[in-house]
Amino acid sequence: MTTISPARSSLPAPSRAGSPRLGLRERLAPYAYIAPFFLIFAVFGLVPLLFTFYVALFDWNPIGDHVFIGFDNFTRLFADGRFWNAVRNTISIWLLSTVPQLLVALVLAHLLNHARLRLAVFFRMSMLVPYITSVAATAIVFAQMFDRDYGLLNWLLGLVGIGPIDFIQSMWGSHALIAVMVVWRWFGYTTLLYLASLQAVPRAIYEAASVDGAGSWKQFLHISIPSLRPVIVFTIVTSTIGGLQIFTEPLLISRATPLTCGAVRQCQTLTLFLFEQGFGQFRFGYGAAIGVALFVLVVAVATLNYLLSTKIRAEKKP
Amino acid sequence: MKFRNASVVALAAAAALTMTACSGTSDGTSAGGAESKSFEFWSFTGIDQKATVDDYKKKKPDVTVKLTEVGSSVETAQALTTALAGGKVPDLVLIQGDDMPKFVQQPQNFVDLRSLGADTMKGDYLDWVMSQSTAKDGSIIGIPTDVGGMAVAYRTDLFEAAGLPTDRDKVSELWPTWDAFIETGKKYTAKTGKAFTDNAATSVFFQAVNQVSEKYYDPSGNPVYATNPQVRTAFDYGIKAAQAGITAKQSSFTDGWSAAMKKGDFAVVAAPSWMLGSIRSNAPDTKGKWDLATIPGGSGNWGGSYLAIPKNAQNPKAAWDYISTMQSPAGQLEHFLDSGSLPTTPSVYKDQKLTSLKDPFFSDAPIGTIYTDSLLGLKPFLIGPDSSAIGQEFLNAITNVEQGKGDPAKAFDTAVTNIKTAIGG
Repeated sequence: MTTISPARSSLPAPSRAGSPRLGLRERLAPYAYIAPFFLIFAVFGLVPLLFTFYVALFDWNPIGDHVFIGFDNFTRLFADGRFWNAVRNTISIWLLSTVPQLLVALVLAHLLNHARLRLAVFFRMSMLVPYITSVAATAIVFAQMFDRDYGLLNWLLGLVGIGPIDFIQSMWGSHALIAVMVVWRWFGYTTLLYLASLQAVPRAIYEAASVDGAGSWKQFLHISIPSLRPVIVFTIVTSTIGGLQIFTEPLLISRATPLTCGAVRQCQTLTLFLFEQGFGQFRFGYGAAIGVALFVLVVAVATLNYLLSTKIRAEKKP
Repeated sequence: MKFRNASVVALAAAAALTMTACSGTSDGTSAGGAESKSFEFWSFTGIDQKATVDDYKKKKPDVTVKLTEVGSSVETAQALTTALAGGKVPDLVLIQGDDMPKFVQQPQNFVDLRSLGADTMKGDYLDWVMSQSTAKDGSIIGIPTDVGGMAVAYRTDLFEAAGLPTDRDKVSELWPTWDAFIETGKKYTAKTGKAFTDNAATSVFFQAVNQVSEKYYDPSGNPVYATNPQVRTAFDYGIKAAQAGITAKQSSFTDGWSAAMKKGDFAVVAAPSWMLGSIRSNAPDTKGKWDLATIPGGSGNWGGSYLAIPKNAQNPKAAWDYISTMQSPAGQLEHFLDSGSLPTTPSVYKDQKLTSLKDPFFSDAPIGTIYTDSLLGLKPFLIGPDSSAIGQEFLNAITNVEQGKGDPAKAFDTAVTNIKTAIGG
């Protein structure tokens, strides 16, 4: 009930004086409207989250005993080289995929927003094809294209005399391959987000700029980017959250060692490490501890990102 | 407006295409009702369980079997774990031998098959295979469906081109030991410039390490992977092969491996009995170009699976009927004749139908006798709860050397360190 009291004071005085019972109902109504979301979130989001914290304190065999061990999972985790390797891989893949993706999307959105573009709807809609393609299909096709001996890419490289590159077995190669898949999948979606807000920018501004002699590049820098700042912040935050949880791509590119993504875990991400421990080795407690660590990492990076990008937005404002 | 419609149609078509391209999962036959004559069966891909189910349905036309091929053997075990931990379990599940110990250690999750009549049947099976599905308290949680007797499959055409003998007895004489096998590989590669075998980790190390009398655990269940000289010897063979430059560096069952097999980019592949089906389906055009020789060292076992019934199965009786019908010695013999999975019931090893079976895909090799011979005189070793994880770390270490990244001198110690981290001991 305490949560309602601030709302009461902000309500207009007449209704409070007129009919207190109805007023209470009216005051409660908004909470009732939003309640379904929070109930569903509690059941499918909050409870599993809290349960993960709980499981992380146990040596938890999913089909056997659950032994309470306090924070042992965490002490073990922080001393585990595989964990830090996964953190490194995750951050590397996230940077390699997010930065180019947002840049490509910015440029594409600007081009697609061009007034004289023909077949605009076709181009705009086809951006979404990678997005609606199943991740599994994308991963399988890309893994074949990047194959060392029989891949299309290495065949092309071979034509210009560059020896076959074993993308999946090398660290940077595998990171690049995963990043390419992520960019491929998400650039269209991000482009459309940018495009939607660009279309809210009055055409007249662009026309005025071009009358003043600003070329496409100048228009991009001085009109498109500033007007996109809020949505850029949004996409940075969401792609951070998504990028730090990349799972399917690394799982599927290394068919021989799917759970570790390669013989020396060269592209094993945190989520994949979690899955390997929880469902490959049946160590649910340890897996849950990895989940908690990932949660902390995502919250920390997302907060940092948000602060940085809002700061930039605030400073650049005229 | 026209363009708009056209693009929407094109988009929808592209979407439909990509969707269908990836929805290749097989779900068996019709979904059964809740009547007592139906049961749900989880199997894994690549072993053609559907053929056995079809045979069963011919025998019992009133029974509905809902077969799901969950994924690879490892993925099936993962799905089973999740289901046991709190989900809907199948009535019958196929578990690969390496994944068994984890489940055998927690027998309370499964129906003790003795309560359904396994006691009277257990004498039919190889005793060391049976012991791997028997829990400490004596309960039997799995009935073995097959064992993976070992052999080496080789391409006669490629051997001929390299000036090597092609007759299977002569080829077997080329490699009485793994050292001789690696030497033969060097000769082949020197002559042809092509890879001899697919990879060092599975085709050499994994074979050699399955020929020991004691593997990663001693008979009382203590881990000895770091100190057991037999493991070390097998590992060193793997490293030696990896460094000899005779491998295609293709890990088994990857896309590159399949492509290389089709193109004849390696001439030899380790072939446990269940691998034959994989070669047939992967490279159908190579029919008649393969033959089978004995494995260096002569005997060994890799793989083999078990059928188990989860405790909370809805219809354990129907599942048990499937087991007792299809996994009887006669049933396993029939399955062998159809698909090549080696029976676990020694009573049929001398059966005329088994000994006279020849496989035209493999130049009429007598697959019955080749594989059953490899099981004779086999000394069983204990498979422990972490055998699978230990094996994986050793494989990874050898693959890393093969890729030219790992230091061969330090590979074993690195693998042992990684194993200690992995199994927490």
